Amino acid sequence: MEPIIKVENLDLYYDKFQALKKISLEIHQNKVTALIGPSGCGKSTFLRCLNRMNDLIEGMRMDGTILFHGEHSESSTYDVIGLRKKVGMVFQRPNPFPMSIFDNVAFGPRQQGEKNKQVLKEIVEKSLKQAALWDEVSDRLSESATKLSGGQQQRLCIARAIAMEPEVILMDEPTSALDPLATQRIEDLIEELKKNYTIIIVTHSMQQAARISDKTAFFLMGEVIEYGSTADIFANPNDKRTEDYITGRFG
Amino acid sequence: MRNKTRLSDILLNGFVYLATSLSVLALGLIFFYVFTEGKDLLSLDLIRGNYHSRNYVATLPQSSNDSFNLQPTEQTFAIERFGLILEQSENLAGDSVIRVVYVADDSPFSQLVLQETGNEVVSLKEGMIMMRIAYENHPTSLTSRGAAAMAADLNDPDRVVREVMFAQVGGGIRGSIITTVYLIGLTLMMALPLGVLSAIFFNEFAPRNMITKTMRTFTETLTGVPSIIFGLLGITVFVPLTIRITPASGSNLIAGAMTLAVILLPTIIRTTEEALKVVPADHRFASLALGANKTQTVFKVVLPQAIPGILTATFLGIGRIIGESAALIFVLGAAIKDSVNIYQPSTSLAVHIWAMMTDEPANVALSSTIAIIILMIVLVMNLSIKGVVSLMIKKGRA
Repeated sequence: MEPIIKVENLDLYYDKFQALKKISLEIHQNKVTALIGPSGCGKSTFLRCLNRMNDLIEGMRMDGTILFHGEHSESSTYDVIGLRKKVGMVFQRPNPFPMSIFDNVAFGPRQQGEKNKQVLKEIVEKSLKQAALWDEVSDRLSESATKLSGGQQQRLCIARAIAMEPEVILMDEPTSALDPLATQRIEDLIEELKKNYTIIIVTHSMQQAARISDKTAFFLMGEVIEYGSTADIFANPNDKRTEDYITGRFG
Repeated sequence: MRNKTRLSDILLNGFVYLATSLSVLALGLIFFYVFTEGKDLLSLDLIRGNYHSRNYVATLPQSSNDSFNLQPTEQTFAIERFGLILEQSENLAGDSVIRVVYVADDSPFSQLVLQETGNEVVSLKEGMIMMRIAYENHPTSLTSRGAAAMAADLNDPDRVVREVMFAQVGGGIRGSIITTVYLIGLTLMMALPLGVLSAIFFNEFAPRNMITKTMRTFTETLTGVPSIIFGLLGITVFVPLTIRITPASGSNLIAGAMTLAVILLPTIIRTTEEALKVVPADHRFASLALGANKTQTVFKVVLPQAIPGILTATFLGIGRIIGESAALIFVLGAAIKDSVNIYQPSTSLAVHIWAMMTDEPANVALSSTIAIIILMIVLVMNLSIKGVVSLMIKKGRA
């Protein structure tokens, strides 16, 4: 099957510092791809290339190609807003807007010009259900999102991303600020979501990568050392450095 | 190791407490002084009343009813013949006067005919001052003889009233209050949109280069410029401008509001910018990652969170508008007006105080009363803005 995202020879610089070196990766549809590696290895930077959030960083420069459905999404003429609608993102710390739960989920569609209340209501309900949050908040949609617990907030952020009906959801260490129970719920949710979405997740936890991902890429110093099915990488890594990292010898 | 320099510690702590007590004492004394000096004059009449007194000379119409049923108290004097109650009182300057306490609806005194024109009807109202009543073939009742004598004269059925002289008392500050309210409204209407949008430019849109930096330094420097210089700007730029484009012909309220808007701008820009800065970058990223563009992100996500800061800026601005006098004396004028027109000169409350204090002799009591009113307005503003902000935070909307 054609990969949904195909990255070739991607180099990325922050001013003079080279953060990514000759990255080539293929992301497959309806799979969970985990990006692992020690801090500062470039995995989050790579993730942010996929929805062009790095554009916001001053002094960032990029070479190489990122094909999204075969189109050059890295080119300066590509519709970035359109890309971000199709490639949603969930951040490390839950960051709901200080608005009501409803307004949070409806934010994206509203900015695209959706005004019909009935349509918005349906989108909000469907998204919250998919994010496994509906049962907990259905009776208080008009309350402020900031009153929810951390885990609920993160699921709300997932619902907010889902409301745009993206094809790909990028997750940047989505559970690093959560307790084990909330983490478990998010992991269950990811398992559920991969039926409809392609998920790329950056994680610091090897166990998490092993539990939830189908494919794993190991990043080190801005390079992809190894990329393959999660089972292979964890069972018999090809590279010594991968083995050292996943057995906890460094990182 | 034991710290041996205990004495210097005690001295330093002592200075801290002393300094704090002195500042609190100074503020407390100002409040105390203003309240003790001004509280006696504080009344609704002062707030509602005209500044300029007006005298009327009128004649009495024929009346059929010649006995009214009245209930005077111990200190007041009833005139059953005309349906009036009078009392002995004092005006704002402390002179003794005869004040009208009650006028019956069908009293002839509520349909007096003005002598100047001969056909205009004026009515004597509660709170007015009775100055003189002249009769046919009888000596005139005067203020100096007191309310009791005047009431007795009027009740005498032999006396036919020839002429009544009465006055609407002055000294009220209604005009200055209205001017102040106009100033607040007009100034904020100009300064808030300009200031908030400029702050958005500086914090969200401006590229980080020398030009932005210079512009920012420039606006910040304006905060420290004495307001009299802005007054100069007002008289040389805004007054001629308003004369050209509005019916104004000299100093006027619009030019005053424009000058105040310029004075407020740096504060509003600065405060709003601070409020925008503390909006988490995460919220901007989240919005952009959802496919919202920059403008949507700024106006739908960032700006709503800055509202408490903008309200604080508004409050600081209102305080500045109420308190400003130096700049306004040029641009708005120092003529106290009873009927306020935005194309004409008038005085704000602060300038009213200035006018009272430059009077000969200075009217400290009335100035203190106005000061109390100003303090009240500022206090109410402060409390209501704090209330709104805490409500927003409680609801999780900011």
